[in-house]
Amino acid sequence: MQKKLLSLIILSMLSGHAMATSIEDKIDMLQDEIDQLKVKAAYAEKNKGGIEGFANNTTVGGYGELHYNNFSGDVPVGQTRAKDEIDFHRFVLFFGHRFNDWISFKSELELEHSNTENEGQVELEQAYLDFNFSEKLNAKAGIFLIPVGLINETHEPPTFYGVERNTIETRILPSTWWEAGVSLYGELAPGWKYQAGVTSSLAAEHFEDFSTKGVREARRNVSEAPAENFGVHGRLDYSGMPGLTVGTSVFSGNTGQDNDTLNADARLTLWDIHGRYSVDKFDLRALYAQGHLSDADKINTAFGFDEVASRFYGWYMEAAYHIWKNGEQDFAPFVRYEKWNTQADTPNNIVRNDASENDIWTVGANYWPHPQVVLKADYQKFDKPDGDKGDKRFNLGLGYMF
Amino acid sequence: MVKNTIATLACVLLLMISSSAQAIQQYLTSEQFLAEVYSNEPSKPQALWLNKETAKQVEKILGHAPNQMRQRYWKIGNSSAWILEEIGKEEPITAGFVVADGKIAQARILTYRESRGWEVRYPAFLKQFQGVQLQADDYLNQHIDGISGATLSVNAMVRMARLALYFDKLSRAE
Repeated sequence: MQKKLLSLIILSMLSGHAMATSIEDKIDMLQDEIDQLKVKAAYAEKNKGGIEGFANNTTVGGYGELHYNNFSGDVPVGQTRAKDEIDFHRFVLFFGHRFNDWISFKSELELEHSNTENEGQVELEQAYLDFNFSEKLNAKAGIFLIPVGLINETHEPPTFYGVERNTIETRILPSTWWEAGVSLYGELAPGWKYQAGVTSSLAAEHFEDFSTKGVREARRNVSEAPAENFGVHGRLDYSGMPGLTVGTSVFSGNTGQDNDTLNADARLTLWDIHGRYSVDKFDLRALYAQGHLSDADKINTAFGFDEVASRFYGWYMEAAYHIWKNGEQDFAPFVRYEKWNTQADTPNNIVRNDASENDIWTVGANYWPHPQVVLKADYQKFDKPDGDKGDKRFNLGLGYMF
Repeated sequence: MVKNTIATLACVLLLMISSSAQAIQQYLTSEQFLAEVYSNEPSKPQALWLNKETAKQVEKILGHAPNQMRQRYWKIGNSSAWILEEIGKEEPITAGFVVADGKIAQARILTYRESRGWEVRYPAFLKQFQGVQLQADDYLNQHIDGISGATLSVNAMVRMARLALYFDKLSRAE
């Protein structure tokens, strides 16, 4: 029996040697076949109908942030300081669906301040179709974020420093800012990215609290919004060097919206120059933004405002240092200086609000236990009291994205 | 004026939609990559088999189970070449890595399928991988500067670089 087995083994070995293809070659051929089958299977999965096909082409993501704000320091004469606050500021879900290899849908649905009974609201911040033609030319149509500044389009908590977003991209560039329209984007030349398009615009009759909020209140969020006027936007960025992005963006559109009381164009032009350089352990950001509004005097008269300015601006510089890294964990202290003036030039029919010109120093740190999860702490010192929230603030934050 | 702009944009859109389009870009075939690396004499591919233990380590590097238990590679002298695939955001990126003496000698993008983040193919970005080694904890010993707007593609490239170095280490131990 043993002899028989031995001779069989020898025979099989001999015949193996005699064959043109070795075992290794055969495995190679089999692997090729398996690889081809994998591609076919993946393709079949993607094009499957029903619930499975839907699941394979549909993506879900989201982000959220919980904030604790402790207010202290001086408040303007006659005001009582606001109470400290804890707020699940943003809970966001992304839904996307790929129809084929060049058309997809992207959306962002947000619940602000946890419920809609107090200060909160449900907002559809993005809902657009994305047409990918080539690296050089793509188009989006629907509701999307206006491509201004650094924060407006990329605002997930693990991607920026500090519990609260910077003030310049809140009061001068009104982030988060979305409109409905069409936009083209792509690569102009290696390293150069562009975006340009036409969207809905703001409404002058809502320029409320201008000296503290800038143009924020005039955003209509594509909610039965006036569409007598449109705006155009453009952006150019250079990111051909690793870690470096420098660019500029502009939005310009009339905000009069054919209002009979106003009867003026009220053209708003917002522009910015921005830069980010993340090299080795350093992370540096800077941005300058400015706004121009025509017919500011008429806006004040028509709607009974006493704060609307014709020019406003702000800038900030921020430096962070990744002092400690261990695998996926990362710890980075940062410092930021911001300065702004929401009433740099005012029409003759209003008196400047002293609080419209202010600055903030912020020092703090971000700790990422995982690249998509962040814990934040910072301390802010305002030059002048920021309304009833005082001139000193301590903030704690928790954020995630997936 | 605005209405004219909208009309022009609509026409451009229609034109683009009518011409069938694809986002997939193949910059280099595997054969071209190998021909470049081994000056037109690609060696016969060899195979690296994973076992339970090494597959677990690969899972740690990638954050998911390995795509296959048998990885083909090419070897000449002290250098090895690896063609790997990893998903950036939604679609796989195919990249080629050459490892010499335990250090990355070259990194290239072969095929890119995502609609954003294509900046990872720039030579200035890929050059950063040259000379990078694996630490004892299987992370890279040097920081790779990212590209804003291409973070997920950058992360996928870093994972593949770690995998190429880990595979090279295994292939030399065999």
